Amino acid sequence: MPFPIEVESLKADFKVGGERVSALKGVSFRVEEGSVVGFLGPNGAGKTTSIHILLGFVDFTGGAARLFGEDVRRQSARSRIGYLPEHPESYRFLRGEELLRMSGRLFGIKGKELRNRVEGVLERVGMQSAARRFIGTYSRGMMQRIGVAQALINDPDLLILDEPTGGLDPVGRLAMRDIIAELKQDGKTVFFSSHELSEVERVCDRVILLRAGEKVAEGGIDELVAPGESLEQYFIEQVCASGGRAVQ
Amino acid sequence: MTAVLVLAGVVWREMLRKKDLYVLALLLVALTLLLLTVDTFGAKNVSRYLLDLGLLLIWLLSIVLAVTFTARQIPEEEKRGTVFPLLAKPVSRWQLILGKWLGCWTASVSATILFFVFLLAVVYLRGGEVDGLALIQCAALYAVLLGVIAAITLALSARMTYGAAATTSFVLQGAVFMLVPRIPTLVGYEQGLRRSALMVLYYLLPHYELFDMRRRLVHEWGAIPWSAFGLIVVYGIVLTAFFLLLGWAAYRRKLFRRGEAL
Repeated sequence: MPFPIEVESLKADFKVGGERVSALKGVSFRVEEGSVVGFLGPNGAGKTTSIHILLGFVDFTGGAARLFGEDVRRQSARSRIGYLPEHPESYRFLRGEELLRMSGRLFGIKGKELRNRVEGVLERVGMQSAARRFIGTYSRGMMQRIGVAQALINDPDLLILDEPTGGLDPVGRLAMRDIIAELKQDGKTVFFSSHELSEVERVCDRVILLRAGEKVAEGGIDELVAPGESLEQYFIEQVCASGGRAVQ
Repeated sequence: MTAVLVLAGVVWREMLRKKDLYVLALLLVALTLLLLTVDTFGAKNVSRYLLDLGLLLIWLLSIVLAVTFTARQIPEEEKRGTVFPLLAKPVSRWQLILGKWLGCWTASVSATILFFVFLLAVVYLRGGEVDGLALIQCAALYAVLLGVIAAITLALSARMTYGAAATTSFVLQGAVFMLVPRIPTLVGYEQGLRRSALMVLYYLLPHYELFDMRRRLVHEWGAIPWSAFGLIVVYGIVLTAFFLLLGWAAYRRKLFRRGEAL
């Protein structure tokens, strides 16, 4: 049975302003089916680059990355995933339900099934009443929820969420936590990056910690964090261990 | 193909819900109504005069529409960040390019047809007549030309910002419109390397004048032979395909926000 995410010795080098930057220096990890995995690290650690590689936005320079056993560079590798970007902006000239119909059609869903899926995801994220409004009129929290809805439209087996609670108020964070918990109950695999370590502690089975393009820790929160210590303390210790910069 | 059509549909929704088209349509109506006043100066054949200037206006306005609308598609996707959830779906960059082009082209052509209908109504109201077959050929060749212009603009926008792509495209379209038909004359004044360079340019640059049937329509010279019409259409399709491929080649390995891959 292939892993939802499998990354082996992944390397990514970029030229930024004429200078060579190694964003990933041989990172390896696997994400098991049905698990909720937090992908942590300070800014510039390589989290978003890893996610962008998994989604095929960025080419890697070494190693391998697979989704459900398929090379991430193949278009079909993305058929079983849902993705919520870091700043979920959307087409402001579309209505919420139009965005969802469009997203569904891109997965080849149509007709009655599409209608049912749209209603289902709108209900799941609590956006039925705003579905006919233009996205341009949505608040930040609503934008996040419609972003989650479009990520769920294909009933994905793997959800990749980039900072899903970033910029949300406590109510929005709670709603997002509930959605992730529901997805976990449904047996979905959730892989998300976050700086909100208390959220990670609440919902994740495992965490992967990156620092300067390298994996520095991986495991269950109970395995990594000593009794009486918080994930935040552990994170700061790990990030600062070799002169890294902790993110508040 | 579904993905291409879905993406083209989004472009259409954008055009209908933003103001560009309506502004241009109002401008066309206002300018045409202004042209109607030429009658007060006692000009003969006012309907032919109206047709001539109206066709020129339609050319200019639909090129403005096609360029401004196409130039912003890809840069806006990136600026908004909507390109990320889009490409995270089973949508290839080639489908994205093709869908954007299809949406922009069909939207520009539809707007142009509306402009044509309006102009014809005005011309007929002033007692003028237009050769139906020549009109169909004129509109069809213009539609093909809009496809070429949209493809060039899209190719530029694959690596440029909206403003840069639109400006470069306008300059390029203007240069091609004005320079290419004059190159044979210029060749007569040059010798040696300059002459050869001009000839190379002449054969390399697109020939928009081939798509221009305005004079035939205005001066009632009639339709062109279907064989010639067919060849021009094929030429337009080849140009469009070439620039779309160029756009795809520029876009297929483009990194978003993260520098250039080594």
